[in-house]
Order: sequence, then structure tokens, then C-alpha cells
Amino acid sequence: MLILGLVIAAVLGPLYVWQNNDNPTVKRYGIGSAVAVLGAAATPLAMGRCAFEEGSSGVDHLLAYSLMAGGAWLGLIVLQFLFDRVDGKAAEGAAMAGEIRTGGFRMGWWVPWVLLSPTLIILIVFLYLPAIQTFTLSTKLTRLGAPKSVDVCFGNFTELLITDPWKLVAYPLLAVAAIYGARFWLHHSSPNTWSRKGADVASVFAMLSIFVALYAMFSPGGGGQVAYRPVYLNTVIITLGIVAFGMIGGLAVAYLAFRKIRGATVYRTFLIWPYAISPAVAGVLFFMIFDPTAGIFTHLMDSWFGIDVPNYRENAVLAQASIILASGWKILGYNILFYLAGLQTVSLDQIEAAVLDGASTWQRFTKIVLPALSPITFFLLVTNLVYAFFEVYATIDFMTKGAPAGKTSVAIYEIIRIGVKNGDLGRGAAQSVLLFVAVIAITLWQFRSTGERVTYGGA
Amino acid sequence: MKGLLRYLVLLAVVVLVAAACSSDDSDSGTTTTAASTETTAAPSGDVTTIDFWVGFTDYRLDWSKETAAAFNAAHPEYNVQVTGFKAYNDVWDATVLAVDSGQPPALIHFFEAATRQALDAVTPDGDPYFKSVTDAVAGRTEILGEPVILDSVISAARNYYTVNGSFYSMPWNTSSTVMFSNMDMLKAAGITEPPATWAEVTAACDAIAALADGPSSCITWPNHSWFVEQSLGQQGELLANADNGRTGRATEVYLESPGMLAYLEWWKSLSDAGHYLYTGVQRDWDGTTAAFYAGDVAMLIYSSSDTTAINETGTESGFEVATTFMPRNGDVDYVGNLIGGATIWMLGGLDQVTEDGTLAFLNFFSNPENAAAWHQLTGYEAITTEAIDLLVSEGFYDENPANKVASDQLAAAKNTPASLGALLGNFVGIRDVITIAIEDILVNDLDVATRMALAQEEAQKSLDEYESLFGG
Repeated sequence: MLILGLVIAAVLGPLYVWQNNDNPTVKRYGIGSAVAVLGAAATPLAMGRCAFEEGSSGVDHLLAYSLMAGGAWLGLIVLQFLFDRVDGKAAEGAAMAGEIRTGGFRMGWWVPWVLLSPTLIILIVFLYLPAIQTFTLSTKLTRLGAPKSVDVCFGNFTELLITDPWKLVAYPLLAVAAIYGARFWLHHSSPNTWSRKGADVASVFAMLSIFVALYAMFSPGGGGQVAYRPVYLNTVIITLGIVAFGMIGGLAVAYLAFRKIRGATVYRTFLIWPYAISPAVAGVLFFMIFDPTAGIFTHLMDSWFGIDVPNYRENAVLAQASIILASGWKILGYNILFYLAGLQTVSLDQIEAAVLDGASTWQRFTKIVLPALSPITFFLLVTNLVYAFFEVYATIDFMTKGAPAGKTSVAIYEIIRIGVKNGDLGRGAAQSVLLFVAVIAITLWQFRSTGERVTYGGA
Repeated sequence: MKGLLRYLVLLAVVVLVAAACSSDDSDSGTTTTAASTETTAAPSGDVTTIDFWVGFTDYRLDWSKETAAAFNAAHPEYNVQVTGFKAYNDVWDATVLAVDSGQPPALIHFFEAATRQALDAVTPDGDPYFKSVTDAVAGRTEILGEPVILDSVISAARNYYTVNGSFYSMPWNTSSTVMFSNMDMLKAAGITEPPATWAEVTAACDAIAALADGPSSCITWPNHSWFVEQSLGQQGELLANADNGRTGRATEVYLESPGMLAYLEWWKSLSDAGHYLYTGVQRDWDGTTAAFYAGDVAMLIYSSSDTTAINETGTESGFEVATTFMPRNGDVDYVGNLIGGATIWMLGGLDQVTEDGTLAFLNFFSNPENAAAWHQLTGYEAITTEAIDLLVSEGFYDENPANKVASDQLAAAKNTPASLGALLGNFVGIRDVITIAIEDILVNDLDVATRMALAQEEAQKSLDEYESLFGG
């Protein structure tokens, strides 16, 4: 089985070379094949043959093949980069390299490395080494202070997924097919027709199909599997909620605060304050407001309107909404800050011209202000997503502790609960690898899709 | 001139840094100081530092610091340094890191459910983390002038922490579960005595719910596995095999026992009837007491650790508080409640001077006067019979009968494996499984037996994995 994978890599390597080079030489085909095999072999070299040993499941094979494919692909990308440099294609990079060689840095190749070394050392010690350790840990069953550890291969990962390997392959393929289908339709429909409108709707649903496919791929629990599907669903809901609330709210407030009103600078400063508060304090604040026994909000609702506010921690929707509210409120100030800065760069001439042409406030907002803000929106999207993924732990811990029945337990909360509080290092590491991959995938996807539509002004 | 000045400043910085580093060395980590004491033949005035890591940050930490200061004053050759941590698990994580780096403290404060974990932990060299306090005392009746109090520790605590015949760690904060009742509310519903059994609680709650101006709910307690374990002890049910892990390593966990299901069914029936108030937070110690103080419930089942505070606050809020035994299952014979809380563990590998000082401190820390003061301050058990005698002779219990309830309850327990409580690997994780299952049952209205079957599977897997790493 393992050999088969390597053989496939040996064949696919030259294919990749053929696709990306004009009239490649035999030597290049050979190198491509070798690099693909090496890349594919990296995983088995690091982990051994464990995924193919007796007793391993189809899901184990699938994960091993995916990693081998990923390794081969990465190797080929690097190879292609080198080929392009040899061919002089990477013009920008080459120009910069030339500038560095001929410009101010004519002191020997090692000088930049010496100057970089403090940063590099810190990165290696505090970032790269722990990251590698996390990958190693994720293949083990081990606990803090345990005298030994047991290798479990992909066990910590497979228990998060459904057990049918064919479905695991089929779901993402279906989602990808849906996306390409919608894209094909979009390209073959002309503007302002019903066909284009249908294609637009289909594109949105195709994007959603990725979320649905992932939802179907995670295990609902039972039979020795970990119920990760609910965690995934919570993460999607709460993350999207925080990002949507934080960014739309941030833009709305910034747009209002941007108007020329007396004392604007003072209350603009106030608006930014929530950002200076730590997630834990935000959690405590909202806990104090909404607590069913001692909360200010519940007390006021009761004494002023006679409304008995239900306990938000016993109701899944209320609990998730309150987490979104608290976390979104905290990031709001940050978004306002950037949008306020961004609004100052919007060209007043364009707006003036639009006013003269009779454009309404809404039209001016959607056609001029929003596009001008797109670089900032893109930047905020990335930072807000990272915030919603990684920094909500303290807020959740203070407000709900994952209640009710795990409905507010998002990925990062689960990682800390399992890995740190329960001391189950292997599972915690595996889940954090999963989150790591998710964040990389989302960022790449954002750069590809959103990046195209971002205008930075100029030519 | 300017160059010289710069040089002097630089020199000053270097000297300051060096000084800071060396002073750091002298007060952090027992091992370094102890080592230097040994090699330099301890000139008088040399002080041995004993680090003591405590899992409290509130007034209980203050009390331990004051007690340590009193010990330091009496023994100037020692310096006990108390450091507070947010939670027991934080103490543990810090200890693991400290042991790995070879600079462990002398004493750590760790909780009952982690006893197996503490005993199983080994240093990188393969030695156990901790040394049995009994072994270290080695039959002495006095250490550095401090009388040894190990033999007079109350039996419930002594038996809990005795593993393989050795009384390992020194009990400190020890409590049991008791019930606090708002007697004004109970009397308004025509109930003169706090209910003692589950059926009586349900009946009392029915009566309270019928009140026109009664509380919104009737009873609450934290969703903490400890209460489940207490209930199993009362009903004489084991949580794990090998006599609750007392006669050997526990390898099977029982989350579907009749006693477990009976307790959870009763709990759910209270919740379904609107009698039980769930604050929506697991292990919610603060929210449940707040509900009791606010008059949202008539009864609170809670740790006896806060007996003093709850009685005082109740009186201040203007209602009469009655403290009674934890309600039990009236359909089965009562076996016994167990303890909870934490003990102080002594790390292995201390040199003789440090170890003697550490043992002297431990026995000073819980000597009759200190143990009695600790009980009066908090409500945790007076941990030795001598301390109880002292409190009796001072007439404390006559004035504060509520403080006697928990120790009476422990004294009423039969000494069986069930009422001792379980020693179990990965107990913290298994407790988590139980807590989550209960929340699921209460919030999502699930069938008790079905949900506990799932919990059983999870908990057993967790225990199996633990045993594969630590067992045999």
C-alpha cells in the first residue's frame, strides 16, 4: 500500500513538471519524479509504517495518503520555484535579490543572517520547536507527568472523524465539484440574465457546501469516537457570529463617529476602549450583566418591565448569542479604530462628484466608501478570524464554561479543556493541529478569493 | 569623558544584574540552598528555605501565610515560603515543570481526587514524586520540638489518604457535604425539620412550590461529581473495582450502578418539577451560594467548608439557617459520606535538614491550636481529635452547633470502601465526564440510563488509557 503511494507520486511528479514548464528536459522530469517521491516519503519517514500496519483502518490509510500527497505537492511547489528562478521567470524576486547583492548590503552573505539571528533564535525556540513538538505529540497517547507514552499513529485524528473512508473522500470531492460547477456556470452566463442570478445564488451555496461537507466528515460521537461534530458546529456559528457582528458593527459605528460632531475625538477614544480590555475581563463584565441571579440586566428587566429573563446559560441560542455579543463587543473597538483610519483615506472628490451626480447616501456608501475600504476590510477579516478562533477562551470560561451541555465549547476551548485541564496532551495536540490546518486553509482561501477583489487604489 | 561615563553605567548595570541573579538563587528553590547548606557546614544564621505551594488565593492563603510566619518566628533557622495558585491543577502543572527542571518545592497542596495521580507521578529519573509523611516521620513523636500529630488525624481523612498501608500526605482542608436550609421558608411551608431523605426533600419542595410568595426554585447544589460520589458512598455503592481502588489498582469504573442511576433519576425529577435550580455552570460554587443568599432557593447542598460563612451571611440577610446532614436515599441503608478537600504532599529527595524542617512545619501547621483556628475560620473539619477536644473544651460547638454537623456525619459513616471514596486513575477526567453527562441530562432532558451508558463508555476508555500509561 505504501509502495503504491510512492509509485503514484513518481508518476505524478513529472506530470506536474510537464504542466508548469515549457518543453521541460528529461532531467527536469527526473528531478520532478524524485522530488515527488521524496516529498511523499517524508511522512512515512517521520512516522514509520504505522498507518499501514495490521489493524489500521481505511481512515488511517486515507490520512496517510493525504499527508503523502501534501508532502509531494509542497516539494513540487518548491521545485517549481527553483526552476522559475533558473529560467529567470521570478522577475520580482530576482530583481530584489539583485538589488540586495549590488545595493547597500555588499558585506558578505552572512551579514543579514547575523542581523536576523536574534529574531530567528526566538522564533525557533518559542515557535517552531514547540510547533514540531505539537505535531509529534499529536500522534501519541500521553499525559503530563506520565512515565511513558504510547504511539497511536493517526488515532487522535481518526477518532474525530467518521469511520467510513469512502464518505470521507466523497464529501470534500462533492463540495469541490459544487464550487467548480458554480464557477463554470458563472463564467458561461451573461450579466443581467436570470442565468447569472441563478449562478450567483449557486456560488453562495457552493461555498456553504464546504462547511456542510466538513460537518458531515466530523464524528457525531459514540462507538469510541469523539463527538467533534458539535464542537465544529459551535466553532462555525460563534466564529462567524463574532466576525460578522464585530465587523459590521465596527463599520457602522465608525461611519457614524466619522461625522463632524463636536467632541468627536473624545468619544472616538471612548469607542476604542473595549479593545484595551482583556478577554477575561470582557467575560466577567457580561457575566455580571446577564447573570440570572445577580445580573444587572436581569434585575432591571425584572424591576422595570416585569420580564423574567431566562438563564442564558441553559439555552443554547442565548448562550451562543451572549458569547458572540461579549467577544464581538471586545473586538469592536479595534475594528472601529481601523475603519476610522480607513474612512479618512476615502476620496472626498469622488464623493463630491457622486453627490453632484445625484447618488443617494446608500449608493455613495456601497459604491464608493465600501470599495475604498476593501483593503482594511480584508485585513480586519483575517485579524478578526484569528481573534475569534484563538482568543475567546477566557470569555467563554468566565461566561458559560462551555454550557449548556457543550453548546458554547468551541475548538480552542476544547483544546484547553482536554489538553491542559484534563492533561490529555496527545488529544489536545491533535486538535490544535486541526485548528492550525483550518486557520492556514482559511487564510489561503481568503488570500485567493478576497484578495482578488481588494483594491489598493493606484493603477 | 563621555566614553568613561558610558562605561561606568554599563558596569553598574552588569553589577546590578549579577546581584539580582544571585539573590534570586538564594531564595528560589530549596535544592540549591539546601545543597549550599550542606557543603558549607551551615554557619549559624544560615536559613533553609521551604517552599510551600498552595492552591488558594483568598483568605485561606492569607491564613496559611500567617501560620507559616508564626512557624518561621519559632524556628529562625527555617523560612517557609507560601506561594498561592489559582487552582489545585495549577499547583500540579507548576510542580511537574519544577520537578522536570530539578527545582521542586518541598510541599504542595493537592486535592483528594488526584491522589492516584500524585502517587503515580515519577521524576525523569524514575523516582516517585512524593515521600510518605508517615515513613518520613519514622515513629518520632516530636520533630524540632513540634509534637507529631499524625496519629490523631480523624479516621475518615486518615483512611482516605492511606494507600497500600501508608498514610501518605498530611490532610489540611477536609470537608464533607451538608445541607443548609432557609428555615424561614421551610416553616412558612409548614415544615419544622429540614428533610433528611430524598423523598422528604421532594415533599418539602412540593410544599414550598405551593407557597404563594415562595422562592422561584426550591433547592440547588453545584453540578460537581463530588456530590455524586457522596451519594454513592451513602448508598454503599462502589465507583470502581478493587474495592474502589483501595485493595489494588482500579481498572473498571461503574457509572451505571443502581445507586448512580437512582441518584440521577431523583436529581432529574427535582429538575423536571422545577424544584432544582441549575445555574447553568458546571462546578458552580459561587452561583449556588448566591442563589441561597438571594432567597431563590430554600435549601442548598454544599461543602461544609463554608459552614461559617453561610451561617453568618444567612443571619446577616435576616433568615435562620439550619445545617443538617446531606439528604440520603431513604430506600436503602445508609453507609456513609466521604471526605473531600486536599492534603499537603511532601516531595521526595529532600536533604535531612530540609526534610526535618518540612515535617516540623507540617505538624505545626495542623497542631491543635492551628487546626482549631482553621476550623473556626472556615468550617473545614478540625482535622485532629485533639483539635476537636480543644474546640469542645472552649465551648465552641455549643455556640456554633452548625460546625459540628459535618464531623458528626463523618463519624456516623461505616468504614467501608464505598464510604471511603474511590482512588482512581484520571479521576479528574472521569469527573469531567460525569459532570458533562449530568448537565446534558438536566439541560437537554435526556434519559438518565442512556446518557450514563455513553458516559460509562467514555470514562472506561479514559481509565484504560491512564492504566496503559501508568499501571503496572
